[in-house]
Amino acid sequence: MIVDLLLIPAVILIIGGFILPLIPEKIRSSAFLVFPLIALSVVWQLPDQYSLSLSFGNYELVPVYVDSLSRIFGVIFSLIALIGGIYAYHIKDLGQQSSALIYAGGALGVAFAGDLLTLFVFWELMAVSSTYLIWARKTEASDKAGIRYLIVHIFGGGLLFAGILWHISDTGSLLITSFPDVYTPASVLMLLGVCLNAAVPPLHAWLADAYPLATVTGAVFMSAFTTKSAVYVLLRVYPGWEILIWFGIAMSLYGVVYAVLANDIRQILAYHIISQVGYMVAGVGIGTEMALNGTAAHAFSHILYKSLLFMGAGAVLYSTGKSKLTELGGIASKMKVTVILYMIGAFSISGFPLFNGFISKSMIVSAAGDAHYEIGMLLLILASVGTFLHTGLKLPYFTWFGESKSEITVKPVPINMLIAMGFGAFFCTLFGVYPTLLYNYLPYPVEYEPYTVYHLVEMTQILVFTFIGFWILRKKLEGDRYIALDTDWVYRRFAPQFRKVFVNATDNFFDKVEALILTLAGLLTRLFKNPMQWLNPFTDSEHQSDNYSPAMEVAMSFILLTFVIFALVYLLF
Amino acid sequence: MKTWHWTALGILTVISLILEFTLLADYKSHWWNYIPGFYIIWGFISCVLIIYVSKWLGKLFIFKNEQYYDR
Repeated sequence: MIVDLLLIPAVILIIGGFILPLIPEKIRSSAFLVFPLIALSVVWQLPDQYSLSLSFGNYELVPVYVDSLSRIFGVIFSLIALIGGIYAYHIKDLGQQSSALIYAGGALGVAFAGDLLTLFVFWELMAVSSTYLIWARKTEASDKAGIRYLIVHIFGGGLLFAGILWHISDTGSLLITSFPDVYTPASVLMLLGVCLNAAVPPLHAWLADAYPLATVTGAVFMSAFTTKSAVYVLLRVYPGWEILIWFGIAMSLYGVVYAVLANDIRQILAYHIISQVGYMVAGVGIGTEMALNGTAAHAFSHILYKSLLFMGAGAVLYSTGKSKLTELGGIASKMKVTVILYMIGAFSISGFPLFNGFISKSMIVSAAGDAHYEIGMLLLILASVGTFLHTGLKLPYFTWFGESKSEITVKPVPINMLIAMGFGAFFCTLFGVYPTLLYNYLPYPVEYEPYTVYHLVEMTQILVFTFIGFWILRKKLEGDRYIALDTDWVYRRFAPQFRKVFVNATDNFFDKVEALILTLAGLLTRLFKNPMQWLNPFTDSEHQSDNYSPAMEVAMSFILLTFVIFALVYLLF
Repeated sequence: MKTWHWTALGILTVISLILEFTLLADYKSHWWNYIPGFYIIWGFISCVLIIYVSKWLGKLFIFKNEQYYDR
C-alpha cells in the first residue's frame, strides 16, 4: 500500500520538491529533471481504470483514478514540468525549484484525483506553491501581486470547498462524477471555484495581474498548470453545461480585447491564455464527444505552445531586462534563435496548418458548428483572428522588429533556455504534422480530419487577410504607456476600504473583546476573592478570605466530596 | 515588406479561392458558405473590428495612468 501511494505521480513530484534541498547545488538542476521523468513514465504505465482506494472515516477516498482523460492531462503536465525544468536549468534558486516541482505535483494530483477531497488538497497545494514563483522575483510589485494572487486563490478554494461540503451533505459521497446541468447550491459553488482558476471573467483578473510579474522561469510553469487543471475539472464534472458555451465565447473575446490594450509582452500572452481557455470552456459547454475531445486536445496543444511563447517572452526579459512593447524593438538580429522558436509557438497558437493549434482549435470550432451554434462559431473564429493579430504579429513585430524605442543591451540567452524552447517547438510541430499521435489518446474515438480542403481554405484566407489588416493598421497597435483596468480594480482600488473592513475592523473587534474579558476577569477575581462578603451580608467586613472561615471550608469540602463520589460511581459502574 | 512577400500572399489567396470555387463548390454546411470568399471578408473585418473596438473601449474607460494603483 505504501509503495502504491509513493508511486502516485503527484506524490513523486511532491517528494521531489522536498528532496531537492538535500541535494548539492551543483547537481540540483539535473536532479530536478529526474522527478518529472519518473512521473511521466509512471503516468504512461498506469493501466486504464487503475484506481487506489483508502477509507477516510465513513468516506471512501480515491487518490488515483486513471482513464484516458486523466492520462492525457497527466502526460502533458509531467512533460511540461520536464521542459520547464530544462528552461530553468541555469537558476540556483532552491525555493523556486522546490515550489515548481510541488506545483507540478499539485496539477498531476488534480488530474488523477478520484474524489473531491483529494482534488481539493492538491488544488490548494497548487495555489500556495505557485505563489512563491511570483514572490521569487523579489520586487515590490511582485510581492504585492503575489499576495493578491494568493488571497484570490484562497477565496476560490473556499468557494470550491464550500461546494464540496454541500455536495457531501446532499449525496453522502466524495467521488467525482459529472453533474447534470442543474443549478444546485453545491454545483454552483463548485463551478464558481473552478471558474476562478480557469480565469473565466469576471473572476480572471488574478491571471493578467500576476503572470507578468512572476519570475522568468516561474511564468512558464504557471502558464501550464493552474488554468488547465481547472479545464480538466470542468471536463470531468461539468460537460454539457450550456452556460459555459457563452462564458467561453465571451472569454475568448475578452482576452483578445485586452491583448490589444496590454503593453507588457507577458501580459499580452496572459490575456491570450484567457482567450484560449475560452475555447476550452466553450468546448466543455457544447458537451458533444467531438467538443470534449477538442477541449482535451486543445488543452494539450495549448500547454505546449503557450509555454513556448512564455519561454520566448521570458528570454526577452532575461536578456534585455525589459518587457514593455514601448521599450523594445529592433533586436531581432541579436536573438535570432529565440525569434524563430517563438514564431513556431505563435504559428501554433494562431492555428497555422502543420502546427498543433490547427489540429485542436479547429476541432472545437467545428464542434460548435456541428452543434448548430453558428454565431458562436463565427465569434470563435473572430477570436482566433485576434490571437494571430497579437501573439503572431503585434508582439513579435514590436518586440523584435520595428524601430528600437530605447537603449537596449542584449545579454546572451543561456543555452538551456533555447534547448527547452527547442523541445517545445519540436512537439508543437510534431503533433501538428501527425495529429493521430494525439488523437489516439483522446477520451472518445475521433472521427475528425483536420487537414481537409475546407479547413485549409478557411485558415489561409483568414490568416492572410488578418495579416493585411495588421499591416495597414499596425501604427494603431503600437504599445501605449498606460495600464488597462480590469476587474481586479474592485479589490485593488478599494484595498484601503477592504483593509478597514476585514483587517482593521476585525483587529478592533478582537481588541475590544480582549479588553472586555480582562475587565470581566478582574471583576470576577475581586468578587470571588471572598464570596462570603456578598453571600452572607450579615458577616462583618473583617471576614477576609485569608482568615480562618469555617463555613466556607465546610461548603467547599462537601462540594469536593460529592464530586469524588460521583466520579467513583461513574467510573466503577 | 518586400514585393515578393505581397506576391506570395496574393498567390496563396488565389490558390485558396480556386480551391473554394472548384473543390468546395457544393459544400454548404453553414449559411455563410453561400458567400464567396467569406473567410477573406470575415478575417479582414474581424481584424479591423478588434483593433478599433478595443482601442475605443480603452479610451472610453480602460486606460489609466501607469501609476494609477500606486497613488
